[in-house]
Amino acid sequence: MGFVDYVQAVIDGLLFGTTYSLIGIGFTLVFGVMHKINMSYAAASLAGAYCGLVGPQLLGLPAWTVFPLSIIAAGAIGYFIYLTCFRFIPLASPLATLMSTVGMLLLLDEIVVHSTAGMPQNYPAIYDGDPVEIGSFILRADLLGVFLVCVAAMAVLLALLYRTRLGLATRAVAQQPVAAQLCGMRLQAVNGLTFVIAGLLGGVAGAMIGASVGMLSPLISGPITVKGLIVTVIGGLGSIPGAIVAGLLVGAAENLFQALRNVTERDIYVMLLLFVFLVLRPGGLFATARGRD
Amino acid sequence: MDFYYSLAQIIGFHTLLGLSAYIVLQTGQVTLAQAGFFAIGAYVAGMLTVLAGWHLVPAMIVAGLAAAIMACLVGFPALRVRGLMLVIATLAFGEAVRLFFFNFDYQIAKGDVKIGPLGGEGFRQIRWFPENGWTSFEIMLFVWAVVALVAGALWWIDRSRFGAVLRAVGEDELAAQSVGINLTAVKVTAMTIGGFIAGLGGSIYAHYTTHIEHANFNVLLATFAIAYPILGGLRSVFGTIVAVIFVQGFLVEGLRFMGDWRNLLFGALIVAAMNLRPHGLIDAATARRLARLFGREQRRA
Repeated sequence: MGFVDYVQAVIDGLLFGTTYSLIGIGFTLVFGVMHKINMSYAAASLAGAYCGLVGPQLLGLPAWTVFPLSIIAAGAIGYFIYLTCFRFIPLASPLATLMSTVGMLLLLDEIVVHSTAGMPQNYPAIYDGDPVEIGSFILRADLLGVFLVCVAAMAVLLALLYRTRLGLATRAVAQQPVAAQLCGMRLQAVNGLTFVIAGLLGGVAGAMIGASVGMLSPLISGPITVKGLIVTVIGGLGSIPGAIVAGLLVGAAENLFQALRNVTERDIYVMLLLFVFLVLRPGGLFATARGRD
Repeated sequence: MDFYYSLAQIIGFHTLLGLSAYIVLQTGQVTLAQAGFFAIGAYVAGMLTVLAGWHLVPAMIVAGLAAAIMACLVGFPALRVRGLMLVIATLAFGEAVRLFFFNFDYQIAKGDVKIGPLGGEGFRQIRWFPENGWTSFEIMLFVWAVVALVAGALWWIDRSRFGAVLRAVGEDELAAQSVGINLTAVKVTAMTIGGFIAGLGGSIYAHYTTHIEHANFNVLLATFAIAYPILGGLRSVFGTIVAVIFVQGFLVEGLRFMGDWRNLLFGALIVAAMNLRPHGLIDAATARRLARLFGREQRRA
């Protein structure tokens, strides 16, 4: 393994890291408006990707339909989670929401295991052309496709948040729920829609993870949950630019550790990276001084 | 009959796991690291009895101390952050411990077989109980003696000044700080005690199953650890014990006839329970009602 290989590993990691960014943004969005963590988010994103497989596998639709179906299904699951784990639990009991979303995580995982008999399912690649060569480095075509789709999803999200009335409402609720309500925004509707938006984004992430790994297995949801949460912490809870940068960082670091050591050890170092951040910058990369909590 | 003895042992070490999270939850901190301390206890105790040939009791104490030291070390950086950040930090720590044991090889030759932990294959031959001729009934008594000791100690802590300090931190950190309580010291102490209890539980678990591997100590186990006290309510150690008996005795064993559907039900049940009773199955009001039912008012209501 020479220097070139390590740089190559970092490039691959950066491309795949966009999926972590998306998962991190999802956690952060929900945290922003509700000040609660939705632990089942990554599992819901992958469950959405599984739902997308129903199209080609059971209904005989063409393979590309898997992507839109995954995204729509994940959005619907997002709203379902809002109804079951957030809507009717009092805001003042954070433990209850935490437990209910962990329960939902276990439930979603079990539904997936139950309906696929625990077997990994093949997932189509988003684009399989020839890899792009730049000097002595290669950009893998499938990862490049994943990267472009994820960046597009982020652009749509940012446009939605900063250019539309819905985005304005979401940001208002995140800043001051009471004031937002006084201005005539319906809190429950905005919260519900935020879950749908986060869900749709998770659907993109789930589909892209499936597309770049080539298959979906129930074993993926645990590590993705942990890494999504790590991305959220490193980026700073509630910060979208933080989640984007941290996702790329975690993706690159993970692939570099894999090249330096091996695949079974790499996640240990990613966890250690989190602890380094907790000690040195507990508020995350982009936290405001007030948010350091 | 052996089945029920064995079930009582399972309930025993799960109670220890739940109690280890109970004391940390008293300070208002949610930890998903208990499965990690449980794993450390299991591996350390197993290695001491199998590889070093120790008696179980000193091995358990050393295993508990090892887990406690680890908990203390993790406590300091992790407790710089609060609330949800701590959940994430402890979750990551638990996974890091699991992955460490996934990569951990330490085998020595004994006769013509090699024994000791071997990475993904796990750690076999932890046969201290059968080698010393303990019957299932005796093991059950031993496990419950440990549980009674720990639960008794926690019950006493609940009533002591230290217990009041723990709850003060849990109820309102700012108010606790302004009456001169050192938040970090209290939280790290609770974490350390929790680590010790989880280590004890893990060492019993290792000797109960005789074969441990990294996959036993996953997020699900960490979830179980905090689910027991939260389901049982944080008012009393008995809530945790009731919750363990309910989950392990009824949900896991009692519903075995449902096969795979049992696991589905478990997640759905947590979601339903939290919607219907957000403060735990036995919350403050229920605890008072129960106390009145048994004819004695609780001193602190």
